[in-house]
Amino acid sequence: MQKTILPTKRGFRWEMKHNRTLYLMCIPALLLLLAFSYLPMGGMYMAFTNYNVKDGIFGSPFVGFENFSYFLNGNPYFWKAVRNTLFINFWGLIFGTIVPISIAIAMNEVKNGPFKKISQSAMFFPYFLSWVVIGAVLYGFLTANFRIDRKTGELITTGANGVANRALMVLGAKPIRWYAEAKYWRTIIIFLDVWKWAGYNSIVYMAAMAQFDGSLYEAATIDGASRFQQIRYLTLPMLKSTVVVLTLLSIGRIFYGDMGMIWGLVGQNGTLLDEVSVIDTYVYTSMRTMGFGFSSAIGLCQSMMGLILIILANALAKKINDGEGLF
Amino acid sequence: MSTIIHSKQHHPGHIRQTSADRWAKIIAYIIVGFFGLICLYPLLLTVVVSFTPDETVVKEGYRLIPSQLSLNTYTYLFDQSGGRIAKSYLVTIFITAVGTFGSMLVTCMISYAISLREMKYRNVIAFICNFTSIFSAGLVPWYVICTKWYGLHNNILGLILPMMFSVWNMFLMRTYFKAISPSLYEAAKIDGAGHMTIFFRIALPLSVTALLTVGMMYALCYWNDWWHALMFIEDRDLFPLQYFLYKMMSNVNAINSGRVPAGAAAGLKLPAETAKMAVTIVTIGPIIFLYPFIQRYFVRGILTGAVKE
Repeated sequence: MQKTILPTKRGFRWEMKHNRTLYLMCIPALLLLLAFSYLPMGGMYMAFTNYNVKDGIFGSPFVGFENFSYFLNGNPYFWKAVRNTLFINFWGLIFGTIVPISIAIAMNEVKNGPFKKISQSAMFFPYFLSWVVIGAVLYGFLTANFRIDRKTGELITTGANGVANRALMVLGAKPIRWYAEAKYWRTIIIFLDVWKWAGYNSIVYMAAMAQFDGSLYEAATIDGASRFQQIRYLTLPMLKSTVVVLTLLSIGRIFYGDMGMIWGLVGQNGTLLDEVSVIDTYVYTSMRTMGFGFSSAIGLCQSMMGLILIILANALAKKINDGEGLF
Repeated sequence: MSTIIHSKQHHPGHIRQTSADRWAKIIAYIIVGFFGLICLYPLLLTVVVSFTPDETVVKEGYRLIPSQLSLNTYTYLFDQSGGRIAKSYLVTIFITAVGTFGSMLVTCMISYAISLREMKYRNVIAFICNFTSIFSAGLVPWYVICTKWYGLHNNILGLILPMMFSVWNMFLMRTYFKAISPSLYEAAKIDGAGHMTIFFRIALPLSVTALLTVGMMYALCYWNDWWHALMFIEDRDLFPLQYFLYKMMSNVNAINSGRVPAGAAAGLKLPAETAKMAVTIVTIGPIIFLYPFIQRYFVRGILTGAVKE
């Protein structure tokens, strides 16, 4: 046993005095967290109240679980939002894994040069655009200005048509009023979600691939393995752990919809919003129509589910990755 | 800009390529080229349409190679709503500049502190930060507290403060600070320097690239933010550029949905087709010109974040 005083044996007071400057440097950030994360957590109490503006969060009448039973018991809009959230996140996860990995593998086969540079820059660019900007760019593809003549059934364009409708007309098909037809929009949203993040995620996968042992590939080439075989038996198996970690992270967030995405693309278009609403947009709209208590109850359920899932995902990641968790 | 990631080219020259390998190569070029086009085309289209006369777009539809080009849309735009756009531009520039500076100060200080081993409770503080990224109160309590307690409604601080500290960026910055050799700090301490001096004189100057990386990530967030304006801002003088575009597009959207009655639709004045695209280009703004230079910093950020400690 050592007799000298180890730094770890010193108490809280000593630490605060000795490293005062360091703790002071943390204060602004911690205050921001307190103001915008921890105090709102206390405010979750309002889910159990019939909130009104005059009495505030802690003065409004306590109603127990009334708000919860109201949306859990067969509220069709709520359950539709839950289904949409899971649907969009599930397919977003599948394609958001396959597409970036394909790009990363393909990118590895392309020679370094201007072609590679330009396409890589192009693929990364959507990451820099906000959903509102993407929504405006999308408008150039989907805008529809046409009418069908009642008598002759003839197609008459009444204004500018987007790229999608022009392509349909060139092919001789009937154009579509995209902004009035809700059934296409879950697909459009999943497509754009994958599109926006593919460049970013392919960089993550390329970073993982850059760590792989090059001598394995050399040995495989000497043994006569083709590039396809090398991808199938070397690259893909070695990418597995990265894929598992990212997938688990996404599963931990499966109940969270991207409100910025839905709202930026669909905005105030009620026809479309009904079809693509996710839990987060439902909370936002019900905040105005159903009151704060009700909508915060939904938010509370969502946060709890999120916390449980992320803890489970973390435990699973530890099991798979030899004790290394997600965070 | 150098290639983003130098991929290892596993092609020993002395071994003859088989035809299967040639196919692998062709497919790879097709995938890369195709996806590159899917990403480039929408942007080019938007730029081109903004430089096309409105009549041409109405007649020919949205297309990459129009029969005519003109600057009319931009001159029209600045005659009609130049004041509005200029005001929104100023709001965006203000929140981006002030927000990024404040964020960097706040983030760098805490990251420096918890990067030091001598700080006993650094892991406690890291946990306090990390917990907010796995659990959040949700929108409603946050909104009520921001508006009722802090008075952020129609307040420009509402566009700055809530985004001022990102836990992800803090961990990124901590990784960079950890890479600095502690012996440099020790030498300064022997000379009698305190932590503030070490932070400003040694840690920050040694991390210029890291500061640029994290600073640009914050700047991009502020520039692209319209969500906080949706939450807090009703005063048109405080609209950031992104929210200006959002308002314009959501009017267009509402009419296209077919739900707005014709009478109400007639009351909403819609911008010309080309004007929408011109506003979009103006909103993307400096990102287009700076992109070739800033891109690699973001890649560096992703790479650092992707490497788990």
